[in-house]
Amino acid sequence: MWKNIFDWLNERLGLNDLQKSLLERPEPKGNWWNTLGSASLFLFILQGLTGIFLTVYYTPSPDHAYDSVNYIMNDVAFGWLIRGIHHWGATLMVIVVFVHMLRVFVTASYKYPRELTWLIGVGLLIATLGMGFTGYLLPWNQRAFWATTVGTQIAGTVPFVGEFILKALRGGPDLSALTLQRFFAGHIWMLPAVLVGLIGVHLFLIIRHGESHWPKKED
Amino acid sequence: MNEETKKQINARYERELNKGEFFWPDSIFKDAVVSLGIFILLILLATFVGVAGEPKADPSDTSYLPRPEWYFLFLFKFLALYGQIPVVGKIEWLATVLVPSIAIGLLLFIPFVDKKQDRFYAKRALPLGIMFTMVVDIVILTLISDVPTVAADDATLFVKLSASLQPYAGLVIPGVVMALLFFLPRVYKDISWKSMTWLTGIGSFLMIGLTIAILTFAPKLESTETELASTLAEQIFAGQDLYSLHCVECHGDDGKVTVIEGVEGLEGKAISPINSRDVLYTVNDASMAEIIAYGRPDSGMNPFGRMYNPEGLSKGEIDYIVTFMRYMWDDRFEIPAEALKPLFPPLFEGEVPSYDVHIAPIVKRYCVSCHREGKESNNYWMDSYDNIINMGDNAPNIVAGDPNSYLLQVIQGHEIKDAKGEVIIGVMPPKSTLKPNVIDVFIRWIMAGMPRTAMDAAALYVQPTPAVTPTP
Ligand code: HEM
Repeated sequence: MWKNIFDWLNERLGLNDLQKSLLERPEPKGNWWNTLGSASLFLFILQGLTGIFLTVYYTPSPDHAYDSVNYIMNDVAFGWLIRGIHHWGATLMVIVVFVHMLRVFVTASYKYPRELTWLIGVGLLIATLGMGFTGYLLPWNQRAFWATTVGTQIAGTVPFVGEFILKALRGGPDLSALTLQRFFAGHIWMLPAVLVGLIGVHLFLIIRHGESHWPKKED
Repeated sequence: MNEETKKQINARYERELNKGEFFWPDSIFKDAVVSLGIFILLILLATFVGVAGEPKADPSDTSYLPRPEWYFLFLFKFLALYGQIPVVGKIEWLATVLVPSIAIGLLLFIPFVDKKQDRFYAKRALPLGIMFTMVVDIVILTLISDVPTVAADDATLFVKLSASLQPYAGLVIPGVVMALLFFLPRVYKDISWKSMTWLTGIGSFLMIGLTIAILTFAPKLESTETELASTLAEQIFAGQDLYSLHCVECHGDDGKVTVIEGVEGLEGKAISPINSRDVLYTVNDASMAEIIAYGRPDSGMNPFGRMYNPEGLSKGEIDYIVTFMRYMWDDRFEIPAEALKPLFPPLFEGEVPSYDVHIAPIVKRYCVSCHREGKESNNYWMDSYDNIINMGDNAPNIVAGDPNSYLLQVIQGHEIKDAKGEVIIGVMPPKSTLKPNVIDVFIRWIMAGMPRTAMDAAALYVQPTPAVTPTP
């Protein structure tokens, strides 16, 4: 029975080929530092899942954002756990992605033929930091409000276009309901879409070129 | 890079693959172990550390010290230190635009700048040294991000030192080290990777040493933890405390007052009782919060919001008051059981009350609204243990063990008169009487010598002597 289903799917999806090319591919001798990329991926997925749960109760408006987060923390079953994981996961993801980048730098894995993997990686780093920046405002508490006020102000110091960037980020001269709505949209739609796209290309390149080997004296 | 080198690299990689392992099951096992570890760590963090509470955003509170997410702190500190540099430091966009752009640009172009095929660390002393120095700089800037960048003129020598060392640790030393790393190999062609590593190491050692000095000399920050109410009951309590402090004088502790008495400037003013249906049913939460924030100038009510008065109430605090009013007086709302806990735990026979557990909440509820700084109250501020015992124009108001202490007399309805028969202290509280159990707390506390903590009080507990049963 199971075999029949598998065969039927295999015929159509080519599961055996996938297994050969994705899972049973050869790699150089492994190293624990090489787990950081997949750890970043794991954290990204975890952030996605917990984030989706949070949007069930979270309301992106200045009147309700704070209270809805309070509600999640106190009244929703395991809401504190989901938010706690999302909160600490954000911090950990920044650390893990950063250390992953350092390891790639130290082993010089950005060199031929993996230059593009590195470039995409820089995009991933920026997008991850962007997630942190936009997510920070969402609880609409004092810390969030004033950090974002100053953060967007910094963007406003850019010569010529600063004024425009500031208004585009804030949706007006000051932080308002529009700002919150924008940061929310950025945090749950735009940046995750960018991340998913970039991660896809990143992974494709990694499978295509294989994991680089740990450099030895002769390299 | 020519085709020959590329071929070499690929052949070299093939050899490593032949000596290697498989993604499944070898690498993925390690990946799974690390991810599982991270997952467990997150659950532990969420459970045992949790997410720190913060007051609600209050756009009018411009005194709030902005603090970005921790991983941007180093940038904040960098900008602050950069602003200290004469002349260029004043050109803000150099730091906010140029430096981050260079950083991102460098990251992007690393593969195209560093084109040599060398990968072994000993052949890469320059890039590794620069990267290491930058990482150390990021770490120390994060660590010192809370230490003030500029010391006040009257600060101690140590505090001034901790401020003036920062540019060296955060900008000068890393700058010099990176410049040396970059130029030395150009001047001394045969410089060894060991010398480069020593240079990096000494630089980092200096940076870390200075950081330790900065942190030890740093002025101790007093933490201004504000208590946060997250559950409904806590919000009601917080609202009640704020109400007792700011509103009771005019509206009374139950909101019933219709004619204001005993308040300077508002004597005899007729007001609507704010605990009435008329008020509670017609004014919704948002309007209520607005009335508190903006006041009712035409009927004499001051604005309490922070936009008018730097010491005023924050948005969150005003919301607590509104919540308190709703749940206390509005019959459409049912007060949660845990919000009905008594002001202080009832006393047993022989038990001695303490300041911390009994007196402080009572005083906060009934006395402090008048007995505090800026109020006409014979300079008797009841806002702390020491002030309650020592302050006041007629001090001492409290004498340990004296049942005729002024305070005990006035709360029991006896005025204090001076030698000429003039009243110097009126009956307290002026317009209501305390409940007998509250008066009892004060009497027991003063008779027992005003213990401060629950522990002090427990030590004074006198076991009521059991009635002696005659032995047959
Ligand atoms: C959301 C962020 C990221 C995810 C999910 C991710 C994921 C991964 C994974 C799964 C691998 C293979 C396993 C490993 O080598 O650790 C990898 C490799 C790699 N990553 Fe990332 N990465 C991220 C960010 C970055 C960043 C910020 C950079 C650099 C700027 C980067 C550059 C690279 C490079 C060059 C490799 C190839 C390493 C090699 O073959 O040895 N990645 N990444």
